[in-house]
Amino acid sequence: MTEVYVIGASQSDYGAFPEESYRSLFTTAYEGAVDAVDGDFDESLIEEAYVGTLGVGGRQLGLSGPAVTEHVGLHGVSCTRVENACAASGTALRQATLAVKSGVVDVALAGGFEVMTDMSGEQTRYWLGVSGETEWERMAGTTFAGVYAQMADAHMAEHGTTREQLSRVAVKNHANGAKNPHAHLGFECSLEDAMAGTPVADPLNLYDCCPTSDGASVAIVANEEVARELTESPVRVAGTGQASARVGLFQRPTLTGVPASRKAAEQAYEQAGIGPDDVDFAEVHDCFSIAELMAYEDLGFCAPGEAGSYIERGATEPDGERPVNLSGGLKSKGHPIGATGTGQTVEVFKQLRGEAGGRQVDGLETGLSHNVGGSGGAAVVTVYEGGWA
Amino acid sequence: MGAYTSVPTWWNHSDSRYRLVCGECPECGAVSFPPSGACTDCHERVEFEEFEPEGTGTVLSVTVIEGGAPPEFASLLATEDAIAVAVVELDEGARLPAMMADCDPHAVARGDRVERVVRRIYEQEGVVRYGSKFRPVRE
Ligand SMILES: [Zn+2]
Repeated sequence: MTEVYVIGASQSDYGAFPEESYRSLFTTAYEGAVDAVDGDFDESLIEEAYVGTLGVGGRQLGLSGPAVTEHVGLHGVSCTRVENACAASGTALRQATLAVKSGVVDVALAGGFEVMTDMSGEQTRYWLGVSGETEWERMAGTTFAGVYAQMADAHMAEHGTTREQLSRVAVKNHANGAKNPHAHLGFECSLEDAMAGTPVADPLNLYDCCPTSDGASVAIVANEEVARELTESPVRVAGTGQASARVGLFQRPTLTGVPASRKAAEQAYEQAGIGPDDVDFAEVHDCFSIAELMAYEDLGFCAPGEAGSYIERGATEPDGERPVNLSGGLKSKGHPIGATGTGQTVEVFKQLRGEAGGRQVDGLETGLSHNVGGSGGAAVVTVYEGGWA
Repeated sequence: MGAYTSVPTWWNHSDSRYRLVCGECPECGAVSFPPSGACTDCHERVEFEEFEPEGTGTVLSVTVIEGGAPPEFASLLATEDAIAVAVVELDEGARLPAMMADCDPHAVARGDRVERVVRRIYEQEGVVRYGSKFRPVRE
């Protein structure tokens, strides 16, 4: 089987853009990804496309894939819309990677989009809950923040995780996002501010929660032959893993972790022939502060239960042993649901190629992205390595 | 507007809505709620041994929702200001999501003993939906 390389990746700004549409945002991301290819890229090489979106607001809920790929002139390509809640475009990247790896196509597109900020509050609250388990969990009054709050409550009780440790996730990711021109909430916040945010779902406050954002992202993947013609600074998809689990938290064996993340990580590590110790940096799914702490444990960056002390000793700061969410993460960069997965790929792509500007960390060779759907019904983990295989 | 759980869907599980009917797995002995689909523990598709639990259990984790409630619970939140929502483990072993009733939502904590009560859950398309909530066990 061929090796698979990301040859171009880009995103729109994330934020609130009433003057934009899902199509214009996708166009921005697509044109950026094409421009990011080092060589002279013939767009007709793209034979397959996977587009992630939850469809927040309804909009073009059916055929939302072709609605954007035809719009950017990818006429006639095999295009499939991918829905896996917040893991939609992480899943799209996996599908595009598998399509190239199988030898069926030479070049494939993965991307995603969401528009979330132009609706009424009622519409927004309706749509934010659609990825929770609907018949029982949502009918008990559990909100999206609420289910993560239940995980935080259990993590604090079982592992001694503290309010301050949760808030350190927000402080770190806002500091990183402040250096990212694409970030939705690109401001810094103090530990005091983060600890005293307005309550949302106890123990989580506003600073523990990512924003709802508009945005799009695109990654173009190619086989080795095409990549060697077009790329001077290769980023290889070294491993991909994906797993599912019960949609409702109450139906899963643990309240303090995401089993699908663990399973997806094991697959991705095995395929890449590495272990968690080999990961230099990661973009993880920090939809809520507790989600980043659980990701440290589920991805094997630290032992189960030790995520609080792991962030406290600075391990995941830009100058730490393993920087996490250099882009600002979902927390600061933003979370346009369908765009988030390939948006993480954009940051890994830039960091491995030394193109991350003011937030560049030098010497990075192995990166990881971690994209979770809902509270853990789906998870995708991708391992990337700089250089040729 | 609300999360769309149709009236027939709601009624399909009326035994579990009102009486928390659970299913014991004949393969592994674990108790699933609701008793449909594969066993939540061994993931086998089995014929559950259905039974009605005592209706008492323990809070495993809890959150207090103070904002962001979806439309179906917007009026409840407006009235109550805060809603405690827990994951409860029944004494028979099944776990389920549970809205708390008849108590100060901020006073509910992990380890609390709770019991089932039938309450109005919400109204949709003119049909009031009833189901189970939990309240603290009074010693
Ligand atoms: Zn079983």
